[in-house]
Amino acid sequence: MTRTDYIVVILALCALPWLYIKYWSTNDTATNVIISTYDNKKIILPLSENKTINVKGPMGENIIEINNNKARFINSPCPNKICIHSGWLEDTNDVAACLPNGVSISIGNRHQEFDAINF
Amino acid sequence: MLSDRFIPLLILLTLLLSACSRQPEIHNQRLLVFGTIIDISIVGVDKNTANNAFKIIEDDFKYMHEAWHAWQPGALGRINNLLPTTASFTIAPSMLPVIQKATALSDQSNHLFNPAIGNLIRAWGFHSNDLPTKLPDQKTIHELVKQNPTMDDLELNGITMRSRNSAMLLDMGAFAKGYGIDVGIENLRKLGIDNAIINAGGDLRAIGKKGDRNWRIGVRHPRNNSILASIEMQGDESIFTSGDYERFFDHEGKRYHHIIDPRTGYPADKTTSVTVIHSDGATADAAATALFIAGPEQWHAIARQMNIKYVMLIDKHGHIHMNPAMQKRIRFVTDTQPEITISEPL
Repeated sequence: MTRTDYIVVILALCALPWLYIKYWSTNDTATNVIISTYDNKKIILPLSENKTINVKGPMGENIIEINNNKARFINSPCPNKICIHSGWLEDTNDVAACLPNGVSISIGNRHQEFDAINF
Repeated sequence: MLSDRFIPLLILLTLLLSACSRQPEIHNQRLLVFGTIIDISIVGVDKNTANNAFKIIEDDFKYMHEAWHAWQPGALGRINNLLPTTASFTIAPSMLPVIQKATALSDQSNHLFNPAIGNLIRAWGFHSNDLPTKLPDQKTIHELVKQNPTMDDLELNGITMRSRNSAMLLDMGAFAKGYGIDVGIENLRKLGIDNAIINAGGDLRAIGKKGDRNWRIGVRHPRNNSILASIEMQGDESIFTSGDYERFFDHEGKRYHHIIDPRTGYPADKTTSVTVIHSDGATADAAATALFIAGPEQWHAIARQMNIKYVMLIDKHGHIHMNPAMQKRIRFVTDTQPEITISEPL
């Protein structure tokens, strides 16, 4: 091998850890809020951006708040308000739903450690 | 020029990279039907097939929810209106296999899983979308326990049925989700889908694999939102958990939950949660309830009778009980390893 070959090989080996981290590693910190609407639309928002979102359903509007890396329902047209009582969601796979209005929110990330959660 | 020595190195590096497999394309859908959140994941088919499957499952779950609802008009609602008469009446034929399967499972569980105690569950106030706020009348509970309705009080004859016990009211709450998931998985298979999960509010059945690895399930801790353990599904399996945290109310500092012991008429109070793995969802669902009620002393005998091979029970003190086969499969992901009592093999 010539000197240049050695340099190419060394550079390639150095690039391997970077490639591995970029493409194969899993980052399990919660990063997104996934809002599903009654007509099966998905709205994905970053957890890091403080925001209030109004989501329409057949009964009216749900209001969802994203604040300080957490998300929750703060207003709902449904009778029982189970969605609001669910409180803040902050961990990956946390989920809350307003069944009558067909709106749900969950916390997700790009790579998930688990395919489903049993409880 | 690349030398001959470099070529094997290049091949080795290529092989190393190829050993890492990227995740296969996965189709996910969330449905708010069946009175819960249903998450479906499908792998190994194109988008159109997956979307078609989501639609079929959504329609089916809507229908099953309506038909099997214990206190709203529907096929089971009608049955419940007529059972107290103890006279014979015709039923929707699609209810037959549901009732027959529930009866068989109830018998196997010594009637700890007892779908005939709808009146008890109603007396506790759990037949409502709102949670109860007060305790039921003690006399009513004692009376219902004394009347002791079981599935064996049902007489089925073709498409007609009657109950010999006027206190019977059917409530498929501890069973419908499992049965519904089984129907959903059957429908997926008919559409050529062999790799999928149907997760209905935390109870699920998984078939096939996610690409080249098994489906990986996180079991949530019964007392907080963290993950307690990880389990890989092997081919076609259901994992169901019954817990005292699912539907409950607090009264004078005490928790009253929805899993009622038919022997006492009160919520079963020795268990926090039970996780069961079994091939079909209906059996796993019924067994999770039966073993919860059986508690730390009796779960093993009932699991044997129900032919359940994997059980984890967390008692009211937070102590974990499981059988050796379950211990081999489960991996705790908590910071400290919990104390576990291992039973005799099942």
